[in-house]
Amino acid sequence: MGLFDKLAGWLGLKKKEVHVLCLGLDNSGKTTIINKLKPSNAQTQDIVPTIGFSIEKFKTSSLSFTVFDMSGQGKYRDLWEHYYKEGQAIIFVIDSSDKLRMVVAKEELDTLLNHPDIKHRRLPILFFANKMDLRDAVSSVKVSQLLSLENIKDKPWHICASDALKGEGLQEGVDWLQGQMQAMKT
Amino acid sequence: MLKKFDKKDEESGGNSNPFQHLEKSAVLQEARVFNETPINPRKCAHILTKILYLINQGEHLGVMEATESFFAMTKLFQSNDPTLRRMCYLTIKEMSSIAEDVIIVTSSLTKDMTGKDDNYRGPAVRALCQITDSTMLQAIERYMKQAIVDKVPSVSSSALVSSLHLLKTSYDVVKRWVNEAQEAASSDNIMVQYHALGLLYHVRKNDRLAVNKMLSKFTRHGLKSPFAYCLMIRIASKLLEEEAGSRDSPLFDFIESCLRNKHEMVVYEAASAIVNLPNCTAKELAPAVSVLQLFCSSPKAALRYAAVRTLNKVAMKHPSAVTACNLDLENLVTDSNRSIATLAITTLLKTGSESSIDRLMKQISSFMSEISDEFKVVVVQAINALCQKYPRKHAVLMNFLFTMLREEGGFEYKRAIVDCIISIIEENSESKETGLSHLCEFIEDCEFTVLATRILHLLGQEGPKTNNPSKYIRFIYNRVVLEHEEVRAGAVSALAKFGAQNEEMLPSILVLLRRCVMDDDNEVRDRATFYLNVLEQKQKALNAGYILNGLTVSIPGLERALHQYTLEPSEKPFDLKSVPLATAPIIEQRAENVPVAVVKQPEKVAATRQEIFQEQLGAIPEFRGLGPLFKSSPEPVALTELETEYVVRCTKHTFVSHMVFQFDCTNTLNDQILENVTVQMEPTEGYEVIGYVPAKTLVYNQPGTCYTLVALSEEDPTAVACTFSCMMKFTVKDCDPNTGETDDEGYEDEYVLEDLEVTVADHIQRVLKPNFGAAWDEVGDEFEKEETFTLSAIKTLEEAVSNIVKFLGMQPCERSDKVPDNKNSHTLYLAGVFRGGHDLLVRSRLVLTDTVTMQVTARSAEELPVDVIMASVG
Repeated sequence: MGLFDKLAGWLGLKKKEVHVLCLGLDNSGKTTIINKLKPSNAQTQDIVPTIGFSIEKFKTSSLSFTVFDMSGQGKYRDLWEHYYKEGQAIIFVIDSSDKLRMVVAKEELDTLLNHPDIKHRRLPILFFANKMDLRDAVSSVKVSQLLSLENIKDKPWHICASDALKGEGLQEGVDWLQGQMQAMKT
Repeated sequence: MLKKFDKKDEESGGNSNPFQHLEKSAVLQEARVFNETPINPRKCAHILTKILYLINQGEHLGVMEATESFFAMTKLFQSNDPTLRRMCYLTIKEMSSIAEDVIIVTSSLTKDMTGKDDNYRGPAVRALCQITDSTMLQAIERYMKQAIVDKVPSVSSSALVSSLHLLKTSYDVVKRWVNEAQEAASSDNIMVQYHALGLLYHVRKNDRLAVNKMLSKFTRHGLKSPFAYCLMIRIASKLLEEEAGSRDSPLFDFIESCLRNKHEMVVYEAASAIVNLPNCTAKELAPAVSVLQLFCSSPKAALRYAAVRTLNKVAMKHPSAVTACNLDLENLVTDSNRSIATLAITTLLKTGSESSIDRLMKQISSFMSEISDEFKVVVVQAINALCQKYPRKHAVLMNFLFTMLREEGGFEYKRAIVDCIISIIEENSESKETGLSHLCEFIEDCEFTVLATRILHLLGQEGPKTNNPSKYIRFIYNRVVLEHEEVRAGAVSALAKFGAQNEEMLPSILVLLRRCVMDDDNEVRDRATFYLNVLEQKQKALNAGYILNGLTVSIPGLERALHQYTLEPSEKPFDLKSVPLATAPIIEQRAENVPVAVVKQPEKVAATRQEIFQEQLGAIPEFRGLGPLFKSSPEPVALTELETEYVVRCTKHTFVSHMVFQFDCTNTLNDQILENVTVQMEPTEGYEVIGYVPAKTLVYNQPGTCYTLVALSEEDPTAVACTFSCMMKFTVKDCDPNTGETDDEGYEDEYVLEDLEVTVADHIQRVLKPNFGAAWDEVGDEFEKEETFTLSAIKTLEEAVSNIVKFLGMQPCERSDKVPDNKNSHTLYLAGVFRGGHDLLVRSRLVLTDTVTMQVTARSAEELPVDVIMASVG
């Protein structure tokens, strides 16, 4: 970091950078959520299934987020672990209308939490119970039960219902994450 | 990138390369920096460079290591530094085949490819296509189609070129992009148009009609890009070549119209395409040559070089067409670029008249020392061609060649010169004396063993026949004193040849050879002792047999026979006549334009072929008592038409008093099996059929062999030529084509084959006698016969010579198969060995009046061969 960067940091002009991993099953709405969080002029119109990963950036009032938007397709889930080390926070997206695959999501979540790179770190995890606009969607409370989130004791976590297409509920989740990150820093 | 470093290397002597002593493990350790936040782009780009350098140096990266650093590298995508990003693209491309799961960057690349930054888009397309396999291609197909028609030229070009690469693996997918490529082909950018045309052509490459249509469409609309035009010309000329012939096609018109294009590149491409078309007429050449002529006076050196190089090629085939350019070529002779000047001169030498040779040679010798060896070889070849064209100029040319020979030069260059001089000597007897004496001078200081021994051999062969043979002795003996073993051995042989042919020199040669007996080297000593003993006998026959004309047996055959002899010791001395003869190499007509090329001799192969036959025949009990195999006919004769039910080919094997006919039969009917196949033969002359060896079964498409043994006539031994009528007899059994099960019952059947001819040639093996005169004297005139014939059907001497050689199947000696021009008499010397191992020599004097009159003299150590020859000619 150059002198100017430090100066900017002190003055609060430069925002602190945070690396976030965005995970979840395929077709749960990860890329759509990230897309919605970006400034409106940088958003893309068509969202296609992600192959591998893509890196996106967006800013909130006090932080600058760099998101590794991972592909949720089965064959690429093994590749998530390559990026665990760098993640300072995790966004886990669940399709709340897909009750059938809730167990798959739970399995993936358990694997994630038991990974050596994650297990002993106090990473904040933000859950989005996405697609709440759909009629057969289950509530966020029900989702947290299905995933047994109450068993996560050593990490701060938060779940909020969201509708990524309209952007509802996203801000609430990101505000929580921002608060956690700042709290961890101090 | 690598090139850049190499260049630096050259400039400052090697030690400045910052990447010189890189350790793979250290670099991979450094690559962990990629995981740090925030990213330091400069440092990361430098490490990526190191990794790429290692890969390009051939360092092997294991899959694990590569995958690990690849994933670390993917994190660099979060930086927006342009240099770093482009280094990432390069790394992806390089590592795509080493690391696993490279597919992980697909989305990142797709994002860059569809993004706003044009600098990223092109490279991203290329990297993406590199990591995509045929299954993943579907996912990015939409983006590729968009990229092909993108309005940014670099993106469009990248997409087109990448598609061309993908075509190899996923033809079916890329084929669907033709419409987009078509659109790109009408782009204004020259590169895009060129690449689009390339892709279109490769998609349709296998469909002639589509290519034709595409060409005619683009010729109608015209193209902007000169590159695209060049490609079109190449495609068109390729099509023309395949079509072969029809020059009035629109394709040729198109190429010709390109001669008037405003781009020099296109004009040159068109001209060179026309020039390279096979069997092009002078009229078609004319416009192309005149365009090249214009280029000759261009201020650009590259154009001049291209033009003169192409003209040089044309001059080989159509010297007259280039004559028109002579004036321009003359100007290029003084060109400051030596390559251009050399090509100009050699072209002039090919086209020029006899009078201009002196001047040109003077000119070329002025800068001979400045040009490279390759060009010097070109000059030598031109001179060689010239010698054949203007034999009278040989003095000038020879002198020139010898000055060249004296200068420094590599082996290839020296060999070209020596080859050229030798061929001049052979062609032109007037130049022999000067040529030999110059070569003598050359071997006084020659570092190449091969050339020295070759020249010594030539001296031994030609020297004794000159007027003053004694002057060569000093040169040859100097070799014995000064050189190393191989050359010394060669020199001893050459000395012996002088001694064998010159009575008055014999005493001095004997003195010299006696000195050689004391040599350090075994081979030299052996040779000297052997020759000394032979020469001391003072018998012409011995000289001819053991010095002038060496062994004529096949070396592998001799080895085998001797091995056999040592295994079964017997009282009888070893009989050299039982060894199969080396089939004399059929001297190929040297191709006109490559006179210096070494003619490869198929000797070894021929010898082994006969070996195989001998082994095969020896394994059959019926043929055990026949003695050694004398000769097998070189090419099997087909006794059936192609595409008939059964295919039969016959090879004739000649023994001392028998012949064996080997029939290779193939059954082409899949619903039949033939059993007990024999070929019945009915001779017209005194031959007698002794027995048949049948082929047990002939299954569909599996060749089988049956034999017929005949004895030669004893009452009338001269009647060797004969016609056999042949009939194949066999038992047919029908069978199921699918399962191969046969019926038990079969029936007898016959199949008539074509007649088989046995000629004199089947009884004579060709043998090359390097010194025919000596061999002629050696055989003596005990059994000599002479007769005169008129060959009424033949009008030229060449025709007569080639007919006689073919008919008798003997080897022409002393180059007597070449008839000099403008002569109406010629003597042909033929040598061979008759069945039974007797040398047979034929001298045939030909005189051309209206028809050809031939006087045949045959000599042999036995009466029979002579009679056979006389009987067959008459």
